[in-house]
Amino acid sequence: MYGNTLMAVTIDFTKMIKWIPTFIDGTIVTVVLALMTVVLGCILGLLAILMKRSHIKVFNAISKAYTQVIRGTPMLLQLYIWLYGFPMIGISIPSIPMLGSIYGSREFLTAVVALAINSGAYICELLRGGLDSIDKGQMEAGRSLGFSNLETMRYIIIPQAIRVVLPGLCNEFIMMIKESSIVSTVGVFDIMYTSNIVKASTYSVFEPLIIIAIIYFALTSILTTIMSMIERKLKVYA
Amino acid sequence: MLKTVDLYKSFGDLEVLKGVNTEINKGEVVAIIGPSGSGKSTFIRCLNLLEEPTKGKVFFKETEITSKDKKEVDIDKVREHIGMVFQHFNLFPHMSVLDNLTLAPIKIKGMSEQDAKKQAIELLKKVGLEEKKDAYPNNLSGGQKQRVAIARSLAMNPEVMLFDEPTSALDPEMVKEVLNVIKSLAQSKMTIVIVTHEMGFAKEVADRVMFMDEGIIMEEGTPDEIFNHPKNQRTKEFLDKVM
Repeated sequence: MYGNTLMAVTIDFTKMIKWIPTFIDGTIVTVVLALMTVVLGCILGLLAILMKRSHIKVFNAISKAYTQVIRGTPMLLQLYIWLYGFPMIGISIPSIPMLGSIYGSREFLTAVVALAINSGAYICELLRGGLDSIDKGQMEAGRSLGFSNLETMRYIIIPQAIRVVLPGLCNEFIMMIKESSIVSTVGVFDIMYTSNIVKASTYSVFEPLIIIAIIYFALTSILTTIMSMIERKLKVYA
Repeated sequence: MLKTVDLYKSFGDLEVLKGVNTEINKGEVVAIIGPSGSGKSTFIRCLNLLEEPTKGKVFFKETEITSKDKKEVDIDKVREHIGMVFQHFNLFPHMSVLDNLTLAPIKIKGMSEQDAKKQAIELLKKVGLEEKKDAYPNNLSGGQKQRVAIARSLAMNPEVMLFDEPTSALDPEMVKEVLNVIKSLAQSKMTIVIVTHEMGFAKEVADRVMFMDEGIIMEEGTPDEIFNHPKNQRTKEFLDKVM
């Protein structure tokens, strides 16, 4: 009798019902984290590509070093360096209590910084690809009409490059939804982390993991659908 | 209208232009012919500084546009007055034909949207493509694209038009419709510089034909002088090959 119950772990998803709010909270944290990462990553990526394209040699070098180092080292390592390494030499992201105990925590904010800096390097490469894909005749046509370099970028090159880059950016967002799960290892209360909480309280391992898998899959499926809708819409002129 | 003094241009070690001196007068139609690699395209692209000359000067009217003094020359302002049509059209594929024609007048000249549209439709009528105003460039044939590109340049009301091999990327049956548009421009006294392989067109429409080879103007003169009585041996050899 004793041995029997030990062998047969009963799978019971009804135990999970009262944890639904926790799963929802975790899901929101994951989505917010991924969104902030990609938005900040876009800004960093844009800065990096501008520096890469500038005529100032120092900027070129900084941008090149940034994209190469970030893309050549694991994201988990980068997160650890930001969270545990840099504070040792006096660099740390402060907590912002007014944002609440989750979003204002040092861990969450550091995760945003680390992931955004990581994402920025990949987005920089995405943008480079997008800009390079525009025929150089477009720049010449713009300039020959009397537009400045910047105006040509604004009215002619970037609107076209966005159409090329947008699917990649959506993809980066989807990647971030999944990849951001590593922040659970440093105690950020994301969807992955909820499994720890639920497991500790219910001693169930299987159910929370499956629920989390379903949530991740639902998130990425929805985003993929939205992405292909956008892509189809952008193709009208081609 | 346009003048070049001792124009040199190198790409790395390759010297493409080796001292070009010429002047293009108001209302003149100048056709530039010559073998490929002779520097024709580089020369015409130097006239609006799409290529920066390595040495020498380019004047637009009284202004030296190659001047390094940025206060004196705003190249963007100068280019408003110099239209350019490219071999590969370079229409803006993300905009309708109408928007291709109105973008620059609205953004650069500050023309009202209404006026710009009215002008665009007039120009499209002129090139025979009024019914294509809402089409996108990718739905047009090569000849139509090039006619739209000409109209787009004209929308800035330029004082001179540069054509860089405007029919070289076209299917043979579309060459004529584009040449006819350029011809009617020539008849309206527009100043035109055209790099072309269409000898018949050069003969018929140009006031002056320039034969370029090895980075210099080998010979220039009226179409009759160049095509019927060429003096330079290279000119003769070239014309023998192409005509």
